[in-house]
Amino acid sequence: MRLVRLALLMAALLPATALAAEPSAVPWWLWPIALFAVTFLLGIVAVLGGIGGGVLFVPIVGSFFPFHLDFVRGAGLLLALSGALAAGPTLLRSGLASLRLAMPLALVGSITSIFGAMVGLALPTQLVQATLGATILLIAALMWRAKRSERPEVRAPDALGAALGMHGVFHDVATQADVDWRVHRTPVGLVLFAGIGFMAGMFGLGAGWANVPVLNLVMGAPLKVAVSTSGFLLSVIDTSAAWVYVNRGALLPMLVVPSILGMMLGARIGGRLLRTARAATVRRVVIALLIVAGGRALSKGLGVWN
Amino acid sequence: MEKRTTAEVRDYASPEQQLYARWLDVGMKAGFAALIVTFLVHMFELLPPGIALEDLPRYWHLPVDEFIAMTGAPRGWTWVARLGEGDLLNFVGVAILGAVTILCYARVLPLFLRAGERVFAAICVAEIVVLIAAASGIFGAGH
Repeated sequence: MRLVRLALLMAALLPATALAAEPSAVPWWLWPIALFAVTFLLGIVAVLGGIGGGVLFVPIVGSFFPFHLDFVRGAGLLLALSGALAAGPTLLRSGLASLRLAMPLALVGSITSIFGAMVGLALPTQLVQATLGATILLIAALMWRAKRSERPEVRAPDALGAALGMHGVFHDVATQADVDWRVHRTPVGLVLFAGIGFMAGMFGLGAGWANVPVLNLVMGAPLKVAVSTSGFLLSVIDTSAAWVYVNRGALLPMLVVPSILGMMLGARIGGRLLRTARAATVRRVVIALLIVAGGRALSKGLGVWN
Repeated sequence: MEKRTTAEVRDYASPEQQLYARWLDVGMKAGFAALIVTFLVHMFELLPPGIALEDLPRYWHLPVDEFIAMTGAPRGWTWVARLGEGDLLNFVGVAILGAVTILCYARVLPLFLRAGERVFAAICVAEIVVLIAAASGIFGAGH
């Protein structure tokens, strides 16, 4: 319950803190501190909710902080990239993440994420803000309805997946058993990852919210493999989009560094709380945050609430 | 519950995956270390910044093109020539984080070639080309 109260308090405080004060009247050094505090809390909630931090960071910071959305999206990508890079070595060594499963999908996603970033930087800010809001609300709806399958049944691998060697074995610590896995519907997966990459680049969201359902429910990878491989995929897809933002000049260290540090520290604490937190409650908090942030972004983009 | 040794766990990861993980580990740590050190240099103004810290709030609400027009902030790789400015020094850490994946792919490429895995070697090369193209600035430095 304390966690729920904390998250609700955060959701309530964000608009109040940002709107009550005229940004230019606030001393500059308060902003990195506020960013660190907010991203620390987001890091906890993101880990407990099983999502990447970027999907919470971009709409919340983009809506309630004074930074322009161009910089927030660039920071969102770097944030998601940092988390993915930090988790990558452990996931790869354990065999839970699969390089063979990820590499073809990452190639498609990293190409389209470049175009997504270019389109996102070329469109008017209000349009991007409104579509971002609508996307976040859609993600909240998907999270509300989404089912996950621990070990989906894959009767036969598709020809492309088999040719690419998209199969493997991982050790499930929970059951102390080795689990063989393979995938199907690889061509569909490749098409969906093209869309995921585009949206990741356009909105700076990272893409864990979409990677996992596609790998797990569409392609039939076991949930643990899907979650772990998603982390690796983010490290590739977000790298290409992040470079577009960096080269364009949409990099504000004052925004990026405190956010990365806050999110990573929060994620560590969140990891420790995982054992005691109630998954259903946390999920509701994440969905509530997404609805608040998505609604705010949409209304800001439509000029209803600036 | 029986505890598994590192060697046992590593059996589940292919050699190229283990090599990728080793390089990723080193590169990621180097990137984060650079990011933190350069940010402290920036915050404590150990080097003069291109944009004074107290002036930043006047500009950071602007779209990136206007921000650059008003502040003279760099586009593309022009920051390299201005590393004496405390705020631009932060780009070093970001560049390392952005380069880690390229280096990891380049490192595992010979393993795929040696194993005769032409498809994955080709995917490796294609990914390196895509990431280098993105990093080069041909897609983002425009206007």
